[in-house]
Amino acid sequence: MFLGIIILLLVIWILPGTFYFVEPDEEGVVTTFGKFSRTASPGLHFKFPSPVEHVATPKIRQVRRIEIGFRATPSGQVQKVPNESLMLTGDQNIVDILLVVQYRISDSVAFLFNVKRPEKLVRDVAETILRGIIGSRKIDEALTTGKAEIQVQAKDMVQSLLNKYRSGIQIVTVQLQDVNPPEQVAAAFKDVVSAREDKERMINEAQGYRNAVIPEARGRFAQIVQGAEAYREEKVKRSEGDVKRFLSRYEEYRKAPDITRKRIYLETMEEILPSMKKFLMGSQKQGVLPILPLSSNPVFPDSKK
Amino acid sequence: MKQNTAIIIGLLVIVLVSSSMFTVDMTQSAVVLELQKPKQIITAPGLYFKIPFIQQVRYFSQQLLDNDSPPAEVITKDKKNLLIDSFSVWRITEPLKFLETVRDERGAESRLDDILYSELRVEIGTHDLHDIITETREPIMKKVSEEANIKASEYGIEVVEVRIKRTDLPPEIANSIFNRMRTERERIAMEYRSEGKEEATKIRAQTDKERTILVAEAYKKEQEIRGEGDGQSIKIYAEAYQKDPGFFSFIRSMDAYKNSLKTDTTLLLSDDSDFLKFLNKP
Repeated sequence: MFLGIIILLLVIWILPGTFYFVEPDEEGVVTTFGKFSRTASPGLHFKFPSPVEHVATPKIRQVRRIEIGFRATPSGQVQKVPNESLMLTGDQNIVDILLVVQYRISDSVAFLFNVKRPEKLVRDVAETILRGIIGSRKIDEALTTGKAEIQVQAKDMVQSLLNKYRSGIQIVTVQLQDVNPPEQVAAAFKDVVSAREDKERMINEAQGYRNAVIPEARGRFAQIVQGAEAYREEKVKRSEGDVKRFLSRYEEYRKAPDITRKRIYLETMEEILPSMKKFLMGSQKQGVLPILPLSSNPVFPDSKK
Repeated sequence: MKQNTAIIIGLLVIVLVSSSMFTVDMTQSAVVLELQKPKQIITAPGLYFKIPFIQQVRYFSQQLLDNDSPPAEVITKDKKNLLIDSFSVWRITEPLKFLETVRDERGAESRLDDILYSELRVEIGTHDLHDIITETREPIMKKVSEEANIKASEYGIEVVEVRIKRTDLPPEIANSIFNRMRTERERIAMEYRSEGKEEATKIRAQTDKERTILVAEAYKKEQEIRGEGDGQSIKIYAEAYQKDPGFFSFIRSMDAYKNSLKTDTTLLLSDDSDFLKFLNKP
């Protein structure tokens, strides 16, 4: 009876250690007396109970991430870590870099057995590689054009170092989240951007001035030329008109010069005299003086004789 | 009673057997001590036996270990203070030596820190700040790794690699860098702005020049065309009027009278003028 209870207890104690589940995103790694024996795919599996066989089930499909220069809190806030994020560039400037490294387990056996604290290793390796790369770059490169290249280079170098340690880790991505000038000098960097915009603006304004002035001047040019041409045409046409009129009159005049001449004279006088003030004098010239009018602009007709 | 004795004996056997067996994991090595004296070194995983109570087992990791050394302040060849934060990747290669010299990982790490500190100091002291940040970073790390590895071997440790994580500048140098960065950016900003002014002024000047030229050309053309008109007009008149200058001057005078002698003109007429000659003697 007593023996029976002990056997039952032993069974209860041992039984749970004889099977295990591997979840879909996991891989089972079984060791027999501490020695690697087999891997297991997802599902239910049996093994000898502890201490003969042990199983570990690392999540090999899960993509893990580490953050350098900041920590994202579960609530989504970003806590910066200046110690990590500030680094020296090759031209002895300082940049503020936030990096995210994503990795997953590529070889679960290597991952479990070769490195004691893989996560810490990834972090340290990523940090030393990143600082090495940034240290060989100029600040403007890091801030602008060089980003993509830095990412690629960092990924390769981190991977090759991790391979060298046979860590069983595969780097999925290395992403530069943010590359900024440090806070202490951010304003000066921003001012450079606005200075560049100022430059564009000034050039645009000048161009605008040019676009306003030149067409106007061309218009003015055309206006003046047109005006002059109009003047020329007018002048010529009028002269031609005058001449035509003169010639017609001359044709008729030639037929009877004396009569026509007299007639034109008299007609002219008839036309102009009625509106004028007139003073008549006898043929004795001395009579002029006493009646010299005091009104302005006396005009003496040019008598044709 | 007999049954109970059997059970007790059974339990004792289980205890004895279980305390005389031990497994060494793939990630471990082990040293078997007999009354504190090293008896056996195990580096391969598997099931092993020992004499219970008399023999003890110490386990050591065979994995790669990653040790963060505290930041060390070192002085570069060009006499600049630098805080160097490094880490080392190492493993226990000779468990017995390790046990004898540093006992455990913590002990080993503090030894490693000391070794790294002195190696870094020596090595950094032969380079300028600029080189440490840029080109010679890798060679420095390599050199320190090699030296540290030699020193560490007496503790049963292999230093796989020493890597510099951060090279931080002391605050006063960092500040002077910030100042330099600021003035450099200010210079660039100034450059952009004055380049903008330069361009804009050039464009405006060019524009003004072109406008002035256009205006002058317009004047030139205007005078040319007007002159042409005047000239043609003179020619037309002259050709026609030459036919009879006398009649021309007469008729032109008549036209001029009509146009110029206006209402408020006062005229003195002599009665012997042509117009009035019939007034006295019809």
